[in-house]
Amino acid sequence: MSSKGFPDFDTMTPADFEKYLPDFFANGDGHVSTDPRLQTFLKNNPDCAALVRDLEAIAEHARSLFEPVEPSDAVWDGIAKKLKKN
Amino acid sequence: MDVQGLQMTQNSPSPGVFKRNPPIVGEAEAIEAAKNGDSQAFSKLYALHKRRVYTLCLRMLGNVSEAEDMTQEAFLHLFRKIGSFRGESAFSTWLHRLTVNLVLMHLRKKGLNLVSLEETINPSEEDAPKRDFGSRDLQLTGSVDRVALERAVASLPPGYRMVFVLHDVEGFEHNEIATMLECSTGNSKSQLHKARLKLRELLRNPERSTEPTGINEVAV
Repeated sequence: MSSKGFPDFDTMTPADFEKYLPDFFANGDGHVSTDPRLQTFLKNNPDCAALVRDLEAIAEHARSLFEPVEPSDAVWDGIAKKLKKN
Repeated sequence: MDVQGLQMTQNSPSPGVFKRNPPIVGEAEAIEAAKNGDSQAFSKLYALHKRRVYTLCLRMLGNVSEAEDMTQEAFLHLFRKIGSFRGESAFSTWLHRLTVNLVLMHLRKKGLNLVSLEETINPSEEDAPKRDFGSRDLQLTGSVDRVALERAVASLPPGYRMVFVLHDVEGFEHNEIATMLECSTGNSKSQLHKARLKLRELLRNPERSTEPTGINEVAV
């Protein structure tokens, strides 16, 4: 183990990488692709690097998802009706 | 609706989307007037916040009809509880957390057990993300289409969608999500990772996420 319970970054296998990937994302700023400890591994394992880039792209784009949407007028009508009853 | 279990702390960290919002002109006055039962003021608060509350419900539920019902519930609950708002955090943050808690309570009532996400809402074999890295020529980087991603999020299994929306869209931290969903932070991390893997798979095979859902009705 190298640090924080992670496997040795120099001898890590793709299976090890997959196992610890949620923690790699959760630690630090969430950018696994720029983690200096993982640069050699990602360079030697392009499929793992592609996976990381895809997941980072999804997380990045998530922030701009779902532009605010207007509810239908029926929502306020329902609220007003219930408030009048009380 | 029993709301005794709702955590309405005003000192919690602000969720991502809402903490970037500046104070709204006239909001403070409307809040004070609404506390005194001024229905016009409450109507103004509704007008100011309806889009945010409704969009949040839509993100979490992925269904227009349920989202509208929960928006109604959230504002009715706000009407009853606004007297307890002490202004220690932004009103939008307080309302955001109130809404999240109501939606979670709604999902629990529907039988979605959020206590053990892994065991109770683990998707079927077919729904689970494939455990492969995929080939490099199918990279998504730089080409994630927003509408396709929204559609894919809406088609996620509920447990995956909930954690993905709370973390990646709303900006909650894993420890906050763990508290809200009454699960471990490890569980939250794991569910988020699986959600992202599933989204990657759906984006690479878009026909799997084209089944009609309520959210598609409003996707732009």
